Amino acid sequence: MSAGVTAKRGQVAREPDAATRGARARGDVGWGWAAQAATGAVVLVLVAVHMVAQHFILPEGLRDYAQVEAWLRQPIVAAVETVFLASVTAHALLGVRAVLLDLGPSPRVERALTAGLGVIGVATVLYGLWLTAVVTGLA
Amino acid sequence: MTPQTGRSAGPGVPRGDLPHRAGATGWFDTRHRHLGDWAFVVNRLSGLGLVAYLYLHLVILSQLARGPEAWGGFLAIATSPPVLLFDVLLLAGLLAHAFNGIRVTLLGLGLVASRQKALWVALMGMAVLIALAGASRILGVTS
Amino acid sequence: MATLLQTPRPGADADPAAPARTLRVRRHRRGDSAEGWDRYTAPVGPRTTVLDALTWVRAHLDASLNLRHSCLHASCGTCGMRVNGRDVLACVTRLEDLPPGEVSVEPLRNQPLVSDLVVDIESLYESLDGVRLPLVRTSEGAPGSTPAEGVGHLTRFEDCVECGLCVSACPIVASDPEYAGPAVLGAAWRLVAEPRDRDPEPAYALVDGEQGAWRCHLAFECNEVCPTDALPAEEIARLRGILLRHRVVRWLQRHARPEEVQP
Ligand code: SF4
Ligand code: FES
Repeated sequence: MSAGVTAKRGQVAREPDAATRGARARGDVGWGWAAQAATGAVVLVLVAVHMVAQHFILPEGLRDYAQVEAWLRQPIVAAVETVFLASVTAHALLGVRAVLLDLGPSPRVERALTAGLGVIGVATVLYGLWLTAVVTGLA
Repeated sequence: MTPQTGRSAGPGVPRGDLPHRAGATGWFDTRHRHLGDWAFVVNRLSGLGLVAYLYLHLVILSQLARGPEAWGGFLAIATSPPVLLFDVLLLAGLLAHAFNGIRVTLLGLGLVASRQKALWVALMGMAVLIALAGASRILGVTS
Repeated sequence: MATLLQTPRPGADADPAAPARTLRVRRHRRGDSAEGWDRYTAPVGPRTTVLDALTWVRAHLDASLNLRHSCLHASCGTCGMRVNGRDVLACVTRLEDLPPGEVSVEPLRNQPLVSDLVVDIESLYESLDGVRLPLVRTSEGAPGSTPAEGVGHLTRFEDCVECGLCVSACPIVASDPEYAGPAVLGAAWRLVAEPRDRDPEPAYALVDGEQGAWRCHLAFECNEVCPTDALPAEEIARLRGILLRHRVVRWLQRHARPEEVQP
């Protein structure tokens, strides 16, 4: 097993052209980190907005059902919360992906992983939209 | 067989056969390690915790779909002391992760690489101050 | 395997009152199912290094103990091992600088184990060859010398002695052997920061990917253990800055009209 690993790295080292092919074959040129940083920056702002909006606007803190409903009926609030959910979900799942990549999955497993996490992410945002629709009486 | 490079130990010299790696447990093993590794460990652990919380939070919000009574039940639990303590922990994790994220972003773009320790200490200092202010508010020490 | 040899040969350590240190050494032989520890006590003087003590053990107590060294002065990078859990060059680690008590000695991590304290650094050598650093004169780094045009500062990756301590210390290499690792990425930084007529494109291809510079999680452990001024973690961080700029430039070249790019 380790001999295979050594041979693989050896090939990369001896033949830069082969290395080029190898790097491209992984189908990833480091977009994960850039996306993680970008979503992180958005989340940093929106999580602060979210905390203030949920805990600091009303003197008693959290909203009761009617208040939540009225709150979410404002289009700007619904839009910001949706963007927040999408960016925080992307950031979270990109993080999970980064952790799993550190385990050194095969390219095939890695592709499956990226696709699977993508599906989970889309489902999460759809769930958020559905919940907003239910509470605001749109569904 | 692997072809030999110029500096190879030569044919017949045994290659290693035992992998000898810590694996994923090596991520969190901070023995004999330093500040930068602590930053990495704090970031990874808080990140995984926050992912878990994100989904817990979304599951809890499903109470909204079950109407005003269900939501009122959640509100009663949400303001109970154990949950407030959990909120303090959550805030601390969030701040640790957020401020570690600033470190990772700056260093990852090639900035302040030679000042990484001072950077981390300064960021964690800010995180601790905000966490203390937040904790005193959540627990009602000040209002 | 569990040999506890504490009786030195006559003449080697005749004075029982002479200072001595006990080393607890990790043992592994090809074919062994498990690793074990052996204890050896070696005489020490004021400047005895861990490597001195181990070679003494080999000569007087247990010739089967496998270790590797060459230069004895931190230049060849072959005597890397873990002493009291830290990745060090054994030839410059003095026993008197270590806290009293037993001293544990283990092989480096994250590289295939050959035997006892010897690990297989071959893949590091091969990967470093793959970066194809140009050779430069060492005098260029002399105090007071001015950096060559296009060179930011004179911390040179040529300082790297290819010891593999950084590979052993990296928490990410620990779980993913495919990750290029600190020394290789640091060398690649040197090449792209200062190509000296070499074509840096192969190096970009080697490190601008998820197994390259973008895998680094900036734990900076490689910086901490590096026995030279190579400081791989800082160079990885700078390399990422360069890779980013390189991508932007390439993107502009592809998308901007030619007359806007050419000076
Ligand atoms: S970068 Fe430093 S620790 Fe790594 S191989 Fe070179 S000299 Fe050794
Ligand atoms: S023997 Fe050469 S570096 Fe230690």
